[in-house]
Amino acid sequence: MIGVYIAVGGAAGAVCRYLLGRFVARFQAGIPIPISMLVVNVLGSFGLGVLVGTLYGGMSADASTEPLYLLVGTGFFGAFTTFSTFSLEIMQLLHYKKIQLVVYYVMLSYVGITLSFYIGLSAVV
Amino acid sequence: MKTLLAIGIGAGVGSYGRYLVSLPDFSLVYPAGTFLANVSGSLLLGIFSGYFSVKKPKEWMKAGLGVGLCGGYTTFSTFAFEVNMFLFHEQWLEAAIYMAGTLAGGITLVFLGFYLGERMGGGEE
Repeated sequence: MIGVYIAVGGAAGAVCRYLLGRFVARFQAGIPIPISMLVVNVLGSFGLGVLVGTLYGGMSADASTEPLYLLVGTGFFGAFTTFSTFSLEIMQLLHYKKIQLVVYYVMLSYVGITLSFYIGLSAVV
Repeated sequence: MKTLLAIGIGAGVGSYGRYLVSLPDFSLVYPAGTFLANVSGSLLLGIFSGYFSVKKPKEWMKAGLGVGLCGGYTTFSTFAFEVNMFLFHEQWLEAAIYMAGTLAGGITLVFLGFYLGERMGGGEE
């Protein structure tokens, strides 16, 4: 049953990432760093923060066993956000020797996801 | 439609895979599961991207394996959760090591994967 929760949530999350990513890509022109996955990852981290805050009332180390967390947290927001495409995008920027853009992209992503998770959590706690 | 279906199926499998990787008791090294999924998923996406740069795939197959499987297997939201957990406990060094380690591992392995994938596809002889 655990597998079903995670797989269903994950499938929905990834399809939403794909669709939102394509929509955001329309605004890419003129912006040097890739924005689709940045937006998706920041938004997904905010969502997970809201979920953790709602379910556990704060930071919880063992937020991993109940069905709603498996479906929405591990599944949906887990698959809605992605790290592998982030790695690939950095590889492409490095290939074209755009070191400065890599620094911006990494900083924006790291600060963005960390802060947005915190804001999401704080919004409901 | 075929593409969305492939993404959904790929992500269902990928998300469950990410869950399985996080199952062993990593209590000594807290976010090891997510770390493993993110770096190995970067390797996998590198391999697919390298291979498909030589052998052009069908659109749905590329999306299913890349956006779906690798995208669903890796995650940024749980990473954000874990970074916040370190910061919450004022474990600044651990947070920095985790962020830098995941970044270094992801970039290194996506490069390695791309190289291997190109070779598998018969390119860059």
